Amino acid sequence: MGIQDKFAAIRKGLLEFLILKIVAADKVYVADILKRLSGTDFATQEGTLYPLLSKMRRDGLVDYEWQESDAGPPRKYYELTAKGKSQLAELTDYWKHLNATITQLGR
Amino acid sequence: MQKVISINLNGNAYQLDESGYEALREYLARAEAELEGNPDRTEIMADLEQAIADKCRKFLGPHKSVVLAGEVEEIVKEMGPIDAAAGDEAEESGGGTDKPPAGAARPPKRLYRILDGAMVAGVCNGLAAYLGIDAAFLRVGFVLAALLTKGAAIMAYVVMMFIIPEANTPERRAAAGEAPFNAKDVVDRA
Repeated sequence: MGIQDKFAAIRKGLLEFLILKIVAADKVYVADILKRLSGTDFATQEGTLYPLLSKMRRDGLVDYEWQESDAGPPRKYYELTAKGKSQLAELTDYWKHLNATITQLGR
Repeated sequence: MQKVISINLNGNAYQLDESGYEALREYLARAEAELEGNPDRTEIMADLEQAIADKCRKFLGPHKSVVLAGEVEEIVKEMGPIDAAAGDEAEESGGGTDKPPAGAARPPKRLYRILDGAMVAGVCNGLAAYLGIDAAFLRVGFVLAALLTKGAAIMAYVVMMFIIPEANTPERRAAAGEAPFNAKDVVDRA
């Protein structure tokens, strides 16, 4: 229990935004996304990530293609769709706006 | 010594010891239940199985071909519980269906004698309400039957009069199909 618990819901809500960011930077598969997030405050697990990615794909934000891997079976590599890219831009703007508001309010 | 169970994870065969198998089966069953109603359930299940298979492979080597219970436990912990809410908005919309439909509050229809507007003892009246037809038709039918059977139908009426209970409470009246059972009815009779 700590101060982080107060923002648990916010972190959860931001996960989709962060995944858009990660996928935008690189063509990644699920283990890459987990690795990028591990060690951060947003560390997550397959049990959360797979359902979330499938929802984002249904929403038309990301898509995947199968790619052979050196070790093991083919993997799903995710990338942003056009809609995903424009949503990422909007979310980034909104995040900056939120950030500015927080900075301006009070002291 | 533990029995070894072979499983198929998204097209890959793995051997687990018995308790490891149980733990994994339980995890996957819970995942499947959690994803109930998710349009991508099959695909997500395949993804999860694939991820589990990848993790199993880490525990296997040239001299180790079985994934042990402790290792399965570790894998399951690493996978984490299925967060269906993150993946599907059906979760929220599904919440409302817990409530029974309004019509379900009505008690099942049962046969009672209905004395309100009865000619004799409410048998025809009750039968008519039960069958959803006009009591007058039944009464005419009964009189005709009485004439044709030389009175046997009257005996039948008397027997029914005794074996069919009277709709003498609001609940029974509602079940008899006479009048909708509502709060006013209860208040009126209280």
